[in-house]
Amino acid sequence: MVHTLESRARLGGIYVSLGLFALIFAFPFYYVFVLASWSNIYSNPPHVVFGSDLMVNIRALLTQVPFHVNFFNSLMIAVISTIGTIFFCTMAGYAFAKFEFKGKKPIMLFVLATMAIPPFLNIIPFFKMMVAFGWYQTWLPLIVPTLANAFGIFLMTQFLESSIPSDLLSAARIDGLNEFQILLYVVFPLAKPGIAILGTVTFIGSWNNFVSALIMLPNPKTSTIPVALSSLFVRSDGNFGGLMAGTAIALFPLLIAFSFFSKKIISNLTAGSLKA
Amino acid sequence: MTKQEKIAPYIFVSPFFILFLIFALYPILYSVYISFFKWTVSGPQGFIGLTNYKNLLTIDPFFFKSLSNTVWLLIFGSLLQHLFAIPLAILLNNGRDALKGRDFFKTTFFLPYITSTVSVTLIFAQLFDMNYGWLNYIWVNLFNQEAVNWLQNPDTIKSSLAIMLNWRFIGWNTIIYLAGLQAIPHSLYEAADIDGAGPIAKHWFITLPQLIPIIFFAVTMSIIGGMQVFDEPFVLLGGYEQMGGNMNSGLTSAFYLMFTGFKASRFGKGSAIAWLLFFIIFIMTVINRKITKALEK
Amino acid sequence: MKRLSSVLMVMVLVSASLFAAGGQEQGAAVAFDPNASYDLTIGCYGDLEKAYTAVFATDDFKQKFPNVNITFQTSDFNGHHSRLTTVIAAREATNDIEALEIGYIAQFVAGGGLSDLAAAPYDGMAVGSDLVDFAMSNATTKDGKLIAMPVDIAPAVLFYRKSIIEAAGLTVQQMENIKDWDEYIEIGKKLTKDLDNDGTIDQYAITHANDVAMVPLNGGKGGWIDAGGNPLEPKAKFVGALELVQNIRNAGIDGDMGAWTGPWVEAFSNGSTATMVNGAWFGGALKTWMAPDQSGDWRVAYLPGKTMASLGGTYLSIPEYVKEDKKGVAWEIIKYLSTSPSAQLTTFNTIDAYPALTSVYDDPIMDEGLAYFGGQQVRKIYADVAENIPSNTVSEYDALILSIWNSTVTSVLTGETGMMEGYDKAKQQVLATIQ
Repeated sequence: MVHTLESRARLGGIYVSLGLFALIFAFPFYYVFVLASWSNIYSNPPHVVFGSDLMVNIRALLTQVPFHVNFFNSLMIAVISTIGTIFFCTMAGYAFAKFEFKGKKPIMLFVLATMAIPPFLNIIPFFKMMVAFGWYQTWLPLIVPTLANAFGIFLMTQFLESSIPSDLLSAARIDGLNEFQILLYVVFPLAKPGIAILGTVTFIGSWNNFVSALIMLPNPKTSTIPVALSSLFVRSDGNFGGLMAGTAIALFPLLIAFSFFSKKIISNLTAGSLKA
Repeated sequence: MTKQEKIAPYIFVSPFFILFLIFALYPILYSVYISFFKWTVSGPQGFIGLTNYKNLLTIDPFFFKSLSNTVWLLIFGSLLQHLFAIPLAILLNNGRDALKGRDFFKTTFFLPYITSTVSVTLIFAQLFDMNYGWLNYIWVNLFNQEAVNWLQNPDTIKSSLAIMLNWRFIGWNTIIYLAGLQAIPHSLYEAADIDGAGPIAKHWFITLPQLIPIIFFAVTMSIIGGMQVFDEPFVLLGGYEQMGGNMNSGLTSAFYLMFTGFKASRFGKGSAIAWLLFFIIFIMTVINRKITKALEK
Repeated sequence: MKRLSSVLMVMVLVSASLFAAGGQEQGAAVAFDPNASYDLTIGCYGDLEKAYTAVFATDDFKQKFPNVNITFQTSDFNGHHSRLTTVIAAREATNDIEALEIGYIAQFVAGGGLSDLAAAPYDGMAVGSDLVDFAMSNATTKDGKLIAMPVDIAPAVLFYRKSIIEAAGLTVQQMENIKDWDEYIEIGKKLTKDLDNDGTIDQYAITHANDVAMVPLNGGKGGWIDAGGNPLEPKAKFVGALELVQNIRNAGIDGDMGAWTGPWVEAFSNGSTATMVNGAWFGGALKTWMAPDQSGDWRVAYLPGKTMASLGGTYLSIPEYVKEDKKGVAWEIIKYLSTSPSAQLTTFNTIDAYPALTSVYDDPIMDEGLAYFGGQQVRKIYADVAENIPSNTVSEYDALILSIWNSTVTSVLTGETGMMEGYDKAKQQVLATIQ
C-alpha cells in the first residue's frame, strides 16, 4: 500500500514537472493565436483569453500585404519542393540502401559530410548564378538547390535498408523490369511511410525558409509568408494585431501537418540521429 | 549483375552531385578566394593575402567581442540546456507504462523546434515587451521585482537570446535523449536493483555512461547551431543598424559576419570571418570528440 | 594529395575567371526615343511606389512618356537595401532604376557599381542645378562622379501638440523660439507629467532620447570622417551629441519608447508624447494614419537654436550593369521624377516626401496653411530648413561608423559608459575596424 502511494506521488511529481515544461513550450503558440484575436495587442495584464477582432486583424493584414498571394506562394513552393525532394532523395537513398557499387562507402560519407558545411557567405556567388540562370525572382532558387539534399538521402537510405526485401527486387528484375521501372513501381510504393516523414520535414523546412526567400523574392507582394511578415515587423505601422494574425496563419499549416505526423517524424528523426 | 544494374546506382545518386557541384562547392570555393581580397560593394579592390585574417585576429574590436558573446550564448543558450534535457528525458522515460500522455508531451516538447525563427522571434518580441509583456508581468507581480528592460540592458539582452534558444531546443534535445534512453537494455537496471542502488546512483552509473554517444551527437549539433546564431539577434535587436544592441551584447559572430558583408559591404573580410568561424567550430567539435572518447574509457 | 590540390586550384581559377567575365564594360547609354516602347522596372521601398504610381498616372507624365511601361519591385527598407548591396556586389542589375535611402548612399558613392550620372550623356550636374545643394553634394564622389539624383529630402523640425503645451502653461511663441537644447529640456520638464496622479508618468516630452541623437550631427548623413581623414572629428561635435541624449535621459523627459514599436505609435494618438523631432514626412504620417483625429492640434517649429538637419531622403540611381538600351530611358524617368515640378509636387502631395527641387519652394502650394497644423504655413519652415542644411562629405565607411555610433549612443543612454569613455571607445573601434 505504502509503495503504491509513494509511486503515485512520484508519478504526480513527474506530471507536474513535465506539465510545467509543456506549458512553457506550448504557451507562445497559444499566445500568438490570442494576440491575433485582439486589434490592440497591448494590455496590462497581458491578454490571455481570446478577443473578437480576428477578422478585423485579417482584413488589416490584407490591406498591407496580399497575404493570400504570400500564402499561395509559400504553399506552392513547399509542395513542389516536397514532391521533388521525395523523388530525388528516395532515388539516391535506394541506390545507397540496395545496391553494391564501387566507391559506395566513400560516396556515402561524402554525402553525410556535406551536412556539416555551414551555409555561410555563399550568397554573393549564389545570387550571381541565379541571375545568370534567369532564376532571380522565380521560385526555382528556393526549390532546385535542395532537391537532392544530404539529410533526405540519409533518411531514405536508413528507411529503405530495412523496408525493402532484396528478394523482391531480384524477382522484379527476373520479370524483366528495368531499374527505373523497379524504382517507380516497386520502391516508391514500399517507401510510403518513409516518404511521409521526408515529405513533412521538407514541407516544414521550405515553409519556414527565410534568408533565401528574402534575397531571391525581395518583393513582399510576390514573396513568401516569412518575407511578408518580417517586412511588416521591420517597418510596421503599429498594426501588430495584423502581424500576429499573419504569424498565426503561418503557423497553422505547420501545426496541422505536425499533429498528423508528429509521432512518426519524432521517432524517425531521432532514430536517424542515433545512427549518425 | 547486369550492366544496367551496375550503372543504375550512379545515375540514381548523380542528381545530388550535380546540385552539390553547382550550388554548394562552387560558392564555397569562391568564398575562400574572395577572403584574400579587399572586396567592396563594387568588387575586388586588390589581392591582400591573409590581411583580412590577420586584422580580424589582431586589431578588430568586434571580432573577439562577437566571439565572446557567441561563446556565452553557446554555454547558456545551447550547452547548459542539456542539463535540463537529460533529466526531462529520464522523467519522460520513467515508469515506462505508468506514464500516460507521453505522446502528448513528446509532441509539445518538439513543437518549438519546427517553428520558423522569424515566427518565434515575432512572438517573443511581444513576450519580452517591457510594459506589456508576459515575462515582466510575471517578474513584477509574482516575484515582486523591478520591471526589466529585456532588450536594452546588456546583460538581459544576452539572457533574452538565451531564453529563446533554450525554449527552441530543450525539447528537441529531450526527444533525442529519450530515444537514447529507450535503447539502454533494461537488464542493466535490473542488475543494479539487485545491488540495491538508488535512482540517482542508477542514473549516474548506468544512464549517463550509456548516453555518452548520444550526448556527443546532441552537443555537436548544439555547437554547430549555437556558433551560427543570427536570426534571433537580428530580428529581435533592430537589425544591422544597432549592431546587436547596447554594448554590442547581442552581436554574435554570424551577425558580425552578415554585418560585415551586407551592411559594411566588405565581402572579403566577411568571408574571412566565415572561415575563421568554421575553423573554430571544427576545433570545438574535435575537442568535444576527444572529451567523449576520454569519457567512454 | 598533390592531385587534389591542383584540382582545387583549377576550380578556384575557373570560378574567378567566370566572375571576372561576368562583368560587362560600361558603354554608352542608348538615348531615349519617345516613339519606341519600353519596359522598365524600379526597385523601391516604403511608400515610394505609392508616390511614383501617382506621378506616372498624371497627364503630364503620360504625355511625355506615352510608351513607357514601368513596374515596381517594392521591398521593405532593409530588404531593399540588402538586396541592392547584393546586386551591386554581384555586378548584376535586376532593376533599371534603384531607389536609395540617403544613409546608404555613402557606400555606393565610394564603392562604385552605379552609373556616373555626371558623365555624358546624362550631364546630371547641370540637370540637377536646381536640386538642393547638400543633397547633390552627398551623392557626389571626391573625383566628381554623381552616382544618384536626389528626389526627396527630410528637413528636420520640431512637431508639438498645441493643446498639450498650453495645458502646461507654455505658448506657441515660446515653442517657436527655443534658443537651444538646454531650453528645450527645461520646457520638456514641464511637459512630462503624471496626469492622473497614479504615480507613473503618462505624458512625456519626447518618445525617446534617440529621436534627437542624430540632430547635432546633421542627421548623421555624412560628416563622419573629416577632411583630414579622421573619423568622429571634431570631437566636440560628437561628444556634444552624446551629451544631448544623456541630458535628455537624465532630465527624465523621454518615454524610452523605441521607434515604430506599438507603444511608440500609440503615444501619438493617445497623447502620451508632447513633441517629436523628425523629418517633414513625419507630418504626413501623423495626418494620414498615426493621429488623424488630432487634426488642427499639431504645430511645427524650427528645431531648438535653429539647428538645420536632414533626417532621411531618397535618391534614384542606375546600376552600372543595366543594359545600355535601358539606361537612356531610365535616366529620363529619373530626371522627370527629380526635376519636374509636377512630379515633385505630386510626390509631396502623395506621401509628404519633401521636394529636393528648390524651384518648387516658391510654388503657391508652399504658402498654403495646412488644416492639420491649424492653418500654419509649415511648408515655409520646411523650405527654409531645406535650403540651409549644411553639406557634408560622405565616405564609404559611413554605414559602418553609423552602426558603431548607434550602439555607443545606446550605451551612454543606459549608463553603461560615460560620454567621454563612450566617445573614445567608439573612435578606437572605428579606427580599428576600417583598416
